[in-house]
Amino acid sequence: MEIIQPIITLLFFPAGLFVMGNGLAYLWVDRKLVAQYQNRIGPRWFQPLADVVKLLSKEEIVPTGIEAWLFNGLPLLALACALTAAVYVPLVGLQPAWSFQGDLIVTVYLLSVVTMSLALAGANTANRFSLIGAVRTLTQLFSYEAPFMLALLGPALVAGSWQISTINAFTGQHWLILTQPIGCVVALVGLMGKLELPPFDAPEAETEIVKGALTEYGGRGLALFQLAKAVELVVGLTLIAAFYLGGIGNPIEFFVKTLAILLVLAGLQSLFARFRIEQTAKWWRFAALLLLVQWLIIALLGGKTL
Amino acid sequence: MNFQVATMLSDILKSLFKRPITENYPYERRSTPDRLRGQLAWNPEKCTGCNLCSKDCPSNAIEVITIDRKAKRFVMEYHADRCTYCAQCVQNCRFDCLSLSHEHWELAALSKQPFNMYYGKAEDVQTHRKKLAESKMPKPDPVTA
Amino acid sequence: MLALEKFIVPIGPQHPALKEPGHFEFAVDGETVTSVNVRLGYVHRGIEKATEDRNWAQNLYLLERICGICSHTHALCYSLGVEALAEVTAPPRAQVIRSLVAELERVHSHFLWLGVAAHEGGFDTLFMYSWRDRETIMDVLEGLTGNRVNYSANVLGGVKFDVDEKQRAAIQRGVDYLEERTHHYYKVVTTDSTFIRRTRGVGTLTTAQAEHVGVIGPMARASGIARDVRVDAPYAAYNLFPVNVVVETAGDLEARFVVRLKELLESYRLIREMVDNLPPGDLTVRMPRKVKEGEAISRIEAPRGEAFYFIKSNGGEKPERVKVRTPSLCNFMSIIATAPGHQLADMPMILAGIDPCFSCNDR
Ligand code: SF4
Ligand code: SF4
Repeated sequence: MEIIQPIITLLFFPAGLFVMGNGLAYLWVDRKLVAQYQNRIGPRWFQPLADVVKLLSKEEIVPTGIEAWLFNGLPLLALACALTAAVYVPLVGLQPAWSFQGDLIVTVYLLSVVTMSLALAGANTANRFSLIGAVRTLTQLFSYEAPFMLALLGPALVAGSWQISTINAFTGQHWLILTQPIGCVVALVGLMGKLELPPFDAPEAETEIVKGALTEYGGRGLALFQLAKAVELVVGLTLIAAFYLGGIGNPIEFFVKTLAILLVLAGLQSLFARFRIEQTAKWWRFAALLLLVQWLIIALLGGKTL
Repeated sequence: MNFQVATMLSDILKSLFKRPITENYPYERRSTPDRLRGQLAWNPEKCTGCNLCSKDCPSNAIEVITIDRKAKRFVMEYHADRCTYCAQCVQNCRFDCLSLSHEHWELAALSKQPFNMYYGKAEDVQTHRKKLAESKMPKPDPVTA
Repeated sequence: MLALEKFIVPIGPQHPALKEPGHFEFAVDGETVTSVNVRLGYVHRGIEKATEDRNWAQNLYLLERICGICSHTHALCYSLGVEALAEVTAPPRAQVIRSLVAELERVHSHFLWLGVAAHEGGFDTLFMYSWRDRETIMDVLEGLTGNRVNYSANVLGGVKFDVDEKQRAAIQRGVDYLEERTHHYYKVVTTDSTFIRRTRGVGTLTTAQAEHVGVIGPMARASGIARDVRVDAPYAAYNLFPVNVVVETAGDLEARFVVRLKELLESYRLIREMVDNLPPGDLTVRMPRKVKEGEAISRIEAPRGEAFYFIKSNGGEKPERVKVRTPSLCNFMSIIATAPGHQLADMPMILAGIDPCFSCNDR
């Protein structure tokens, strides 16, 4: 009977199906909020789900002259990595399903693999838009990865642990947004960069390069990538809520805090014009610098006062 | 020049607490302006059958068919799908027989049939339709006849 | 051989950045554009030829459909040309109403452009808001003319409708609201630093270059050339209501935004003056069915620049030849001059900056 429990955890709740559903719901909330900010109505609640279902039922057209197994495998890899990352974070306020010392690093890298497979998928095709999209995706990855990582390590530093559950327990008593505001902002914006949300959507800027790296994907592959992004959104929101907004102890806290972040996120999405890719890179260099300064301060204060 | 970020912040914050501006047509509808150019309306009482209206119609959407000029029996054939609602016919008619309605403007249909309209007194339209049906009958073969 | 190794990014004819079909080949080196090739003519509809088949009045509506945005421009330009040929002049009240609709149309066109340009720059919020406000002017036009897009305001020899008290109030209300919004957008495009970084110093066309490639309309005015048909050769009612030409000298994308937004303010002033000072009188004069033999040239300032009509009559009920030259054609060349050296990411905005209209360009 012991085998049943992990299977349920993995496939249905809180990881697996649940987190996918949650991700799609959050995608809808995000779109709806952006619409509200722009004084529009926005999509109906089932739109992201309907998109995925439709795409899943469509035939995938594999372009000629490329590695077909890569083309089909990369979306799977992306989704698998996103789902694995979800296992290590305190979804719905429950204890992470699996936890070990250093799982924070693993989670962050799993999230990077999602982006990497996106870029690889673009580089794998001969499409010019995909190629440019892939290059931009990688450029963006390299530019935000360091600050995002640093922003997540800030709380780890003061909590004195590399384990997400331990940090979560620590932040339950400390609202780190008050003591590390820069880290919080950078983490938030880093999440936007990771998800390629506007204004950091240069890698898939519709008006320039169609859909960027995913231009050649039309069916199952696109659906899986979208699901991966949806899961990534939930994981990212959970991480930020857990680290900076006073931890996540129960389901109510989880939903209230993640949705609050989403509200801010949607606002940020609608406030700016798209950054050109080299402007994005510049921004992140600045962010990384700021973070280092903040780290220095934390280190100087010895983390005792925090 | 001063640099600012988020100059549209006030807009988006205001919108957050406002209803979306989008109208949920067809569940929500506004009244149409009086001058809206919708479906053509024709007053057969004053018509003289001069066909000035159809002469300048840019899309051949109307034709006034004379059944009996002396008795002032006319039928107007109107193709709503061809009409561009330009009101040139209204301008051309010297007897003010024509107008574009601001009430009937939702003219979408699933087939071409409903777009082909006949205006006029019921009996006149009947006569015209009968004539039309006759003319469409296959002509008798000249050899066998 | 080197030419073959260039990495070319095609934009269009089917591409989400361009909802209208035009083809642009950008040769890129990394992200930097090195050369541009423009190919046009995908939506040729044979309208010029078709005019030879219709009578003078019918052509008014055919030509109005050359462009969905500046429909009144084409109808007005054609009417003025035909009236000149027939030696008929529309009454003053009609002329003012024609100019009034032309200015309202300019407002709607510039708002549309503002939204499109913002969208190409990835600033969708500005896009949504400017199009929301554009609805105001669409409603005004609908209430005034009865149609939202192809207003069909003109007839040969005048206009179809009058402006009464109710219309006047509606126009003033709309213009008041839009004026306030335009000031706001002006602030956004000139101060928002994320937006400025996409527009300032991008796509700069110097005055000399502008003269060389022969750009017209707001493009020329953003490059320091005070060229405006409404001033250079006033038509309709523009001699009664003189226009102050807006000129900027920077020549970059930001200057194009500034010129168009300031032109909006100028249009509001004109609209207010026109509705307040409508001369009394008839709306139409009689127009002969047959137009005297001869040739006429008619020019007017469309929202995108100078529209040009050549009309030839052989004395019959139909024209012998109608030649249309729309403003977009003159402005396309500026892309070739400005694009090289810029980032690929700037291309959609540089394209949008000229306010291209493919349907009227190809006809
Ligand atoms: S409104 Fe115009 S298109 Fe319609 S019937 Fe009259 S003249 Fe023809
Ligand atoms: S122009 Fe007027 S009077 Fe003449 S046929 Fe048409 S509707 Fe009748």
